[in-house]
Amino acid sequence: MIKEIVLNRIFRRIFIGILSGALAATTLIAALHYGAWGLVLGVCVGIAYSAGLRPAHRAYVDNLMAGGSLGVPLWGLVSVIAIPLFSGQMPEWSAEQMRQHFPALVGWVVYGASLGIINQALHDGAEHLFGPEPLPPVASVSVSKRIVILGGGFAGMRTAECLEEKLRTDSSVSLTLINETNALLFTPMLAEVAGSSLEPSHISTPLRSTLRRTEFIRGVVENVDLERRLVILRHDPAVDGASAGRQVPYDHLVFALGSISNYLGMANLEKFAFNFKSLLDAIRLRNHVIEMFERADLESDPARRSSLLTFVVAGGGFAGVELAGALNDFAHGILADYPGLHPQDLNIVLVHSRDRVLPELSESLGRYAQEKMQLRGVSFRLNTRIVDAQPGVVLLSEGEIPTETLVWTAGTAPSLLLKSLPLEKDKRGALLVDDALAVPGRTGLWAIGDCAAVNDATTGHPCPPTAQFAIREAEVLASNILAHIEGRPVRGFHFDSLGALCVVGHQTACAELRVPFAPAKFLRFSGLFAWLLWRGIYLAKLPGLERKIRVLVDWTIELFFPRDIVQTIDLR
Amino acid sequence: MPETQSAIATRFESTLHRAVRIELLLGLVLGALGGLVESAVLKTSPLSGTLLGITFGFAFVLLFARCATSPGAGLIWGLGSSFFLWLFAPGGFFNIAVSARSSALMLQDAQGHFPELVGYLLCLGMPVGVGLGTFGVIRRPDLSRSFSWGRAIVAGGFAGTLGGFIFGRWVSSGDYFPLLAGFGELSSRSTTIFMHFAIALLIGVTFGILFQQDIRSYGSCMGWGLGFGIFWWFFGPLTLLRLASGKPLDWSAEQGTAVFGSLVGHILYGLILGVAYATIDRIWVRLFIQSDPLNRQIEGPGLHFLRSIGWGAIAGLIGGLASMPVMIATGVLPKVAGIDSTLVGFRGVIIHLAVSATIGMTFGLLFRDETSSRSEAIGWGWLFGLIWWYLGPMTLLPLFLTGVCDWSTEAASALLPSLLGHLIYGAVTALTFSIFDLRYTRSLLFEPRALALRPRRPQESPAPALWLFALSLGVLLPILLG
Repeated sequence: MIKEIVLNRIFRRIFIGILSGALAATTLIAALHYGAWGLVLGVCVGIAYSAGLRPAHRAYVDNLMAGGSLGVPLWGLVSVIAIPLFSGQMPEWSAEQMRQHFPALVGWVVYGASLGIINQALHDGAEHLFGPEPLPPVASVSVSKRIVILGGGFAGMRTAECLEEKLRTDSSVSLTLINETNALLFTPMLAEVAGSSLEPSHISTPLRSTLRRTEFIRGVVENVDLERRLVILRHDPAVDGASAGRQVPYDHLVFALGSISNYLGMANLEKFAFNFKSLLDAIRLRNHVIEMFERADLESDPARRSSLLTFVVAGGGFAGVELAGALNDFAHGILADYPGLHPQDLNIVLVHSRDRVLPELSESLGRYAQEKMQLRGVSFRLNTRIVDAQPGVVLLSEGEIPTETLVWTAGTAPSLLLKSLPLEKDKRGALLVDDALAVPGRTGLWAIGDCAAVNDATTGHPCPPTAQFAIREAEVLASNILAHIEGRPVRGFHFDSLGALCVVGHQTACAELRVPFAPAKFLRFSGLFAWLLWRGIYLAKLPGLERKIRVLVDWTIELFFPRDIVQTIDLR
Repeated sequence: MPETQSAIATRFESTLHRAVRIELLLGLVLGALGGLVESAVLKTSPLSGTLLGITFGFAFVLLFARCATSPGAGLIWGLGSSFFLWLFAPGGFFNIAVSARSSALMLQDAQGHFPELVGYLLCLGMPVGVGLGTFGVIRRPDLSRSFSWGRAIVAGGFAGTLGGFIFGRWVSSGDYFPLLAGFGELSSRSTTIFMHFAIALLIGVTFGILFQQDIRSYGSCMGWGLGFGIFWWFFGPLTLLRLASGKPLDWSAEQGTAVFGSLVGHILYGLILGVAYATIDRIWVRLFIQSDPLNRQIEGPGLHFLRSIGWGAIAGLIGGLASMPVMIATGVLPKVAGIDSTLVGFRGVIIHLAVSATIGMTFGLLFRDETSSRSEAIGWGWLFGLIWWYLGPMTLLPLFLTGVCDWSTEAASALLPSLLGHLIYGAVTALTFSIFDLRYTRSLLFEPRALALRPRRPQESPAPALWLFALSLGVLLPILLG
């Protein structure tokens, strides 16, 4: 039926175009003496004019002027170029020749104006006699497939973005993204928030503003009913009232839930340690550091003061090293605001179970990072584990550290939700997926990112749970989901890491970047250049031009002004 | 006692009838007066001039008064309609249709009727259009709410001064002030400069007052600047400045040829004014209107900016490919490559495509809000091509290659062949860009708010009249006066 309507519309316009072109062509015939060719030309232009323009009601003067202006380029294209060419001559576009064509210019402009008016009149007449131009009926939105994405991190958001791009005008597929917060957190810059270099909201991108046609639900997933294909959200009295938590049906479900901190079964650690996964964690940590300084400023007992100003970071991976460096810079930087406190009171300690930090990088870079940080005042306790935490003290495998601050970055585990699902997982608890990122044996279930055990389809090696892998997994997943819906073959995931960057302190970083077209070769950088690389690359990756500008402004302010010590949360 | 519905309707109808009567009277009176002035200048019969004016005024009220919603809109509709009238009668269509004279004689006839062209534009089109446009504002006071005198005068004044400064620095090195053409020698250089800035300021302020409501983007602002520049050439050097310097009015084609260089100058000044005005106006809008959270847009400028540049580059490349045969055949391409050779090497093609892509980016930036339909996009595309003919081969290219730009009729005649290439480039670039834009718009179907906020020119917009006036005269004047 739609086809009939479209054909009906096309025929109507063509017919009007023929008629209006023929009538207007009388001006061409009269002025240019083209004879029958004038009629043919006029009709052809008339058809193109009528077919190309959506008719408005009684827009006579608009069409008069628009048609008249059309005459000028038509004169150039037809009289000056086309007709001489078809006659076997060169186009007549020299100044003298164009002056010879002056009458044709006048004729074409008048033809164009006539065409415009006659075309409009015929459209109005047709509307009066036969009714308005038939429009295809608005397709009723019957959703045949529902894709639900759990998690709004790098993996989840990128999946939604890719699906939106591919499903641009296909309203039969609905997209839903569920996340606990309403923004994507750019985790590489989280340490800078804790270190008061960046404003918290500047490293978060609102999911609603970024995603256009994806329905966004802010909520916590309580459970997934795999049999009835339902996502069940946690009951929120403020939203749901007396009714149960909302249920979201799906045809395809993407697990992109990310990971949570893994306290290795030590309950006290979970109780006393600061987490470092979310924006709130970074804000709390920053305010806590300031709180410790404020209390230390009032403390007369040196031992107690030292304990207040000792900050222990557990874990020597990227998160721990960057956080230790940021806290070190922040703490030393704000000492000037506390004249009663001294640098020797301050102690930043990084505890790591292995013999060097940054095991993901080469040994040389790891040693470099450690040396630089030690020079700047960070202490290291390597080959040491944290075994327990009590109020005011952290117990190590060898010794203890009196402190009021322990930040845990030493382990992660996939989201707790996965534990309750009857799906195959690896020893970490991550969902097992095949090469195409699908959960084996379960049609319509997919998993990517930190909550999935993804293996490279080419090498068979496990893919590290990092943002660059999560983003590429999302791109492959989106095309695989659509391929599955359309009955096409899916493809396996393969990606060669581009490298890694880590900031270790003020204007100092380590970088290891893969050489293009040489997968096994890496270029290593350190120092200021690596730091500039870090800032440049991550600024480019930060979603949103507005966010980039805000972060750039923050970094610029940091060059000239000290870091802010305003407490935004009262922790007393 | 409250009015009944029928009483309200009756009162409304009588108000409407009164407005229509006033409009008609205004059109007839202004037309008659304009016709009288024209006949006095051209030394023709006052009766025929008056009759012509009355007829024009009557036809204008009938056809265009509804669209003359502001003085600026009325001016453009007036100029377009009066130009079309000239083209039909004195310009030669009638003669061409009924007689079998040669092209050369037809051209001579048209040149002989050049004074009527000036007369029709300035004595009929301008006063009738501006007058009815002004009445249109009074008749529809709801429209005046969207007009800001402060914004018009401040933005227009700044833009005019800035345009005059940029233009003045550029041309004063050659001691030639196009905006003062027709005025004759002034007593001193400082007086000359002062007059230059005074006229620039006047043009800028009138531009702001007349076209504030029509301008939506940098692109349309350049288009309006182009048209206004052409209008000011007729109004300034050919008319006002001659009168101001005590000389008799001379609207002949010979006088037009003598001040042809200032036509190019006026066009370029209009373009500079358009961009400057758009910049200041957009800043005003951004600072005082769009910054209000109540007026928040769905999309920020960042995404739109990047998207426009990307699409514009691709569209420009395609436009460059389409116009390349013409550019090669007319010998422009070797000049672009910096070599004076009949052979066009790979270098010339690469430079041409690179320039096309870069200029295409400017189309994307300047005209991104004007491509809501293909027909509108093509209309602006032609104007864009015309703008770049005046900017490129007429001005920038000789400036880069030889350090001097030649705005004489001989130079324009020599460059006429490439004009068609530029028009083709403009239209193809615009059409391609609009295809990208419309494809993106379809994806907004899922976000009705964003779709509703897409800018769309209203039906009464004088843009079609601007296309006819600027495009036709931009092409016609070098032919007529060469």
